[in-house]
Amino acid sequence: MTEIKKVAVIGAGVMGAGIAAHVANAGIAVLLLDIVPAGASNRNIIAETAVEKLLKADPAAFMSKRAAKLVSTGNIEDNLADLSSCDWIVEAVIERLDIKQALYTRIEEARRPGSVVSSNTSTIPLSDLTAGLPESFKRDFLITHFFNPPRYMRLLEIVAGAETNPDTVAAVSHFADVKLGKTVVACKDTPGFIANRLGTYWLQLAVGEAFALNLKVEEADTVMGRPFGFPKTGVFGLIDLVGLDLMPHVQGSLKRALPAADPFHATLRDEPLIARMIETGFTGRKGKGGFYRLNRENGQKLKEAIDLATGDYRPQAKAVVPELEEGGGKDLAALMSAPGPAGRYARAVMARTLAYAARLVPEAADDIVAVDDAMRLGYNWKFGPFELIDKIGAARLIDMLKADGVEVPALLALAAERPFYRVEAGARQYLGTDGTYRDIVRPAGVLLLADIKLKSQPLLKNGSAALWDIGEGVVCLEFTSKSNALDEGIISLLAKALKLTKEKYKALVIYNEGSNFSVGANLGLALFACNIGAFGEVEKLVASGQKAYQDMKYAPFPVVAAPSGLALGGGCEILLHADAVQAHAESYIGLVECGVGVLPAWGGCTAMLERWQTDPKFPKGPMPAPSKVFETVSTATVAKSAAEAKELKFLREGDGITMNRDRLLADAKARALALVEGYAPPKPIDLTLPGPTGKVAMDMAVDGFAKRGLATPHDRVVSGALALVLTGGDADHTEPVSQARLLELEREGFMTLIRTNATLDRIEHILETGKPLRN
Amino acid sequence: MQVYSPPLRDMRFVLHELHGSDVLRTLEGLEEVTPDLIDAVLDEAGKLVTEVLAPLNQSADQEGCTYENGVVRTPKGFKEAYKTFIEGGWNGIACDPQYGGQGLPASVNKLVEEMLCSGNLAFGICPGLTHGAYEALKAYASDDLKNRFLPKMVEGVWSGAMCLTEPQCGTDLGLVRTRAVPQADGSYKITGNKIFISAGEQDLTENIIHLVLARLPDAPSGIKGISLFLVPKFLPKDDGALGPRNGVLCTGIEHKMGIHGSSTCQMSFEEATGWLVGEPNRGMRAMFAMMNSERLSVGTQGLGLGEAAYQAAVAYARERLQGRALTGAKHPDKPADPIIVHPDVRRMLMTMRAYNEGCRALGGWVARALDLMEHASDPQTRRQAEDFTSLMTPIVKALFTDLGFASASMGMQVYGGHGYIRDHGMEQYVRDARIAMIYEGTNGVQALDLVGRKLPAHMGRYLRSFFHPVLAYIDAKMDDENLSPLIAPLGKAFGALQLATAHIAEKGLRDPDEAGAAATEYLRLFGLVALGYMWVRMADVAYEKRAGAGDDAAFYEAKIATARFYMDKLLPEVAALWGAIKAGKAATMGLDETLF
Repeated sequence: MTEIKKVAVIGAGVMGAGIAAHVANAGIAVLLLDIVPAGASNRNIIAETAVEKLLKADPAAFMSKRAAKLVSTGNIEDNLADLSSCDWIVEAVIERLDIKQALYTRIEEARRPGSVVSSNTSTIPLSDLTAGLPESFKRDFLITHFFNPPRYMRLLEIVAGAETNPDTVAAVSHFADVKLGKTVVACKDTPGFIANRLGTYWLQLAVGEAFALNLKVEEADTVMGRPFGFPKTGVFGLIDLVGLDLMPHVQGSLKRALPAADPFHATLRDEPLIARMIETGFTGRKGKGGFYRLNRENGQKLKEAIDLATGDYRPQAKAVVPELEEGGGKDLAALMSAPGPAGRYARAVMARTLAYAARLVPEAADDIVAVDDAMRLGYNWKFGPFELIDKIGAARLIDMLKADGVEVPALLALAAERPFYRVEAGARQYLGTDGTYRDIVRPAGVLLLADIKLKSQPLLKNGSAALWDIGEGVVCLEFTSKSNALDEGIISLLAKALKLTKEKYKALVIYNEGSNFSVGANLGLALFACNIGAFGEVEKLVASGQKAYQDMKYAPFPVVAAPSGLALGGGCEILLHADAVQAHAESYIGLVECGVGVLPAWGGCTAMLERWQTDPKFPKGPMPAPSKVFETVSTATVAKSAAEAKELKFLREGDGITMNRDRLLADAKARALALVEGYAPPKPIDLTLPGPTGKVAMDMAVDGFAKRGLATPHDRVVSGALALVLTGGDADHTEPVSQARLLELEREGFMTLIRTNATLDRIEHILETGKPLRN
Repeated sequence: MQVYSPPLRDMRFVLHELHGSDVLRTLEGLEEVTPDLIDAVLDEAGKLVTEVLAPLNQSADQEGCTYENGVVRTPKGFKEAYKTFIEGGWNGIACDPQYGGQGLPASVNKLVEEMLCSGNLAFGICPGLTHGAYEALKAYASDDLKNRFLPKMVEGVWSGAMCLTEPQCGTDLGLVRTRAVPQADGSYKITGNKIFISAGEQDLTENIIHLVLARLPDAPSGIKGISLFLVPKFLPKDDGALGPRNGVLCTGIEHKMGIHGSSTCQMSFEEATGWLVGEPNRGMRAMFAMMNSERLSVGTQGLGLGEAAYQAAVAYARERLQGRALTGAKHPDKPADPIIVHPDVRRMLMTMRAYNEGCRALGGWVARALDLMEHASDPQTRRQAEDFTSLMTPIVKALFTDLGFASASMGMQVYGGHGYIRDHGMEQYVRDARIAMIYEGTNGVQALDLVGRKLPAHMGRYLRSFFHPVLAYIDAKMDDENLSPLIAPLGKAFGALQLATAHIAEKGLRDPDEAGAAATEYLRLFGLVALGYMWVRMADVAYEKRAGAGDDAAFYEAKIATARFYMDKLLPEVAALWGAIKAGKAATMGLDETLF
């Protein structure tokens, strides 16, 4: 088959529309089709409405406005012929075999030979889908099962049929991996594939046992949450999120499809309360409420939870689980053997869930890695089931299962005293179904710091950061502090890394594998220092950070920053001082300092001024650049994707975007190496700024906001200080301002603000509540 | 000899000149509190103490309380004195007018308290506890309980007692065993034994209102399962008259080192009727309302005794003639010079004086914050005041009682052998002062409260309420000609405090033992810096006022001289403390437990 350049998605429901949006995020044109509703005057109404919903989705479905424009809409009556221009046709219509098959026949007529057709079905076996269809269709057909929401869930389950052309599978997998950023998990053609099969088993067992053990929903969710590395929604919170009414559908299809001997059937039980809730519209967050609800009666906002015994709502209460207090719950084996209700619950649900996971290999998956990937990326488990078994110990789990009278699956018996994963000679290995360990092989173009760390020692290291040799003369600076917050340790290691790179290496990459690149400066430390009046220490940290960032910008070798997740404040300023950025598409970048009552003072103001003022497409003169930066920074605007960050100039037009998180480091390294040849550091440029007259204009704008109640009293103070920096202080537009002077203004502005109580209150509030204080 | 005379001039200095009493009148509910009113109150309180209470101090100590068949008799003269005390309205001077109090600010009340403690500490304990109980009930009890009990407690015809300690549980209140069983009418039946209950039984008031920590039947174990109950000795009838005796019995009193005039009781509760104060299992919160107030009062006890000991020591040092001054006779007309001529005696007197006046000034600052907490209209001001009181409460309690005991001991030292003889009354101060370092949370517990709770709270926000004003003051006065010899040592000591604070915050985060091992030294360091700041501020005022002061110039000269003494002779201890803190826990924790 040829390269995938155009995609069609048929079925503009939640999944189909989401898939279309995400294909567009990859820069690929996509045609979104649905049926023509009976009697509709606008024949494209369904697809068009779906796109409108996408544009309003929160979290956003599109990464940029540009992406949204790549989706064109139509209907399967008038636009079927357009399928001939598409390389990949994704079917995401209602889960009914007859409808799907009828559609396939029509697709087969319209599509170009060699194009790929895939179904997003979550329940129907591939063999049923292609039954009776021509050989040519079967060869080009596979199942591509996305998870909701398609932009954000990294799992893609792919099921190939016996007759599917292996090249087609490889091409779609590669496209999904590189262009869509998905982790592809190959599944066998078994009911529910991997993630939903195990996930549904787990959920229904967890619900049933909560009823049986007479637990409160809060208690159940507390046990089935953090201790096992599950999302804090637990099980009841998760069902509220996906919809109570969806559960019976998934359960029903699995019940029909799974053989009678499957342990799945034993966990199915009808809870009259749940049936009643669905009937009366209590289907979860999308309905009138679920196991939890926000009671808005009488103008109140009362968090309530349902009493599983009576079905009545009562005020939600923090679960009291003594087994999990004071460090309890870390030892999962101990938790699952604890005598109280929490222990019994953990045991009843997890021993059997993990045993069920072990049954899925090789039945539904070739190896344990596929199952672990599926649960981590499809259900947001922090650890896959086999990683959980390793925490408990396979032998301990076997003992538990025997004691509970549960059959011990063959794979678990095979492991017995051995772990499912081990590290051998610097390589991570997993236990195969033949009882031998095999290396986990990364695809070409995937480079993980986690793997490098198994093989080598850091070149430099302190409590907050480390420097690694990632080969070919490139070193990688990794942040290791909590939330990768920037502190003295990171700044000093950056300085050392620059020195070492200059002496011995070709290029530096700044990258880490935390969920966030960096949330910015460590405000807790700064706040404590300010509270005891140690302003001199704070000023020193500001100055040393500025110096390190400047040294990085003007270093005689290329520096590439590679963010993923949040890159805020000082984290964003790292990007602003790098020669190039290779960003994960899911990067959320912004200078948010004003939100906590300070201003960017590690060169962020200066760098942003430089970017806007040197943009040839942007209006010339002293005022436009400061105004633009003021608008972005004073409102603490955060780009919601790497693409959006380019619009705001947190990234340059030429900076790279990597869709797949796992490919980020390799891409960044390649980028750095490409810059090495003939590298010359940038030259500092003086800027022309408006001075006091410009500040007056900005102050007036803020006053206007204040009058309309949009700016708080302290917003005015903070904006005033920011305006002073951005307009160059006492500058005169006839006399260019040096960057050194601007950095000095940043420092002064920062120190003025951090001495105010209102700023300290903002910092304290964000640290304690995670929410900004509007004072 | 016990010669106490209320230090009214210094009290007025602290209240009016140092902290500015004019601010009080701008606060809601304190509009009537004029300087004249304040001075009149202080004068009258001084009279009450010197004429009624102080004369009983030594006799009460020697006689002590007696116990017989569940009845406790206070020493001779206490009943009459108490009657005079409550008839004068002194019991409720700081209480809410809504319940019959006089609504005077803490800034004034703390000074009255100090006089009581100087004149007759044992007598002051019962009204002190009544006030603590009043605070807890006012903050947490239902309106019904408040209306039934507070007016009589404010008036003083009923007293209060706090029943926390049990034989197996002192500092660790999570071990409380006393049980409370709910009754159909909403009341509870309380059963259990309490010990060390000050004024748990006495013959001064017609009823005693016990605040009792107990456990509900389904309470979680530990500190999270403690509730607070109001249990009166006599159950009042609906009209407020005394009803039947409740199941509360004093089963004995302790024989103790000091404060003999105050009974320390063993209490037995048997199916005693009580009512819940605050929420179930949240008793510690309500208890802390009482305890925080009490901790500041115990600090005042240290100050009061330090002041009394100082005055007695000065009197003796002037009249005791022994030997000659080292530099030759100063009073050749007398057979020998008074011992006040000797540098070492001067050292003791100056130290006591510098501690006392420093603590009075610092106590005044904290009292001002209490008033702002209660009366300021701006929420920001209230919060800052609350931060400050939270921070300073353990410091006031531990520092003032440590220094009070040191002063009492120095006072005794000035008397030489006579100090050790009961008749002079100096050893009584030592004995009375010693308990203040122990009760209401030992001074070690105060230090842990400071480093473990107050320091890290809200990422150090409580600290801001102290550090920022001091820093701003140092910056502002750096170049002041008069003050520079005082500002320099303050700046240095303040720097050490900053370093020590950052050091403990950082080390303690990783290893709580590090914070624990430095806690007592840190609290003292903090306290000494706080006194240093007060001394520079006082000298600042004195420099400003001495020129036009006329007869009062001597007062200001004395302030300046004492400030100098404090900064030069006492504040340097900070350097040693910082050195010890820096050394870390190793030396303290290194010795194997079995080798003790």
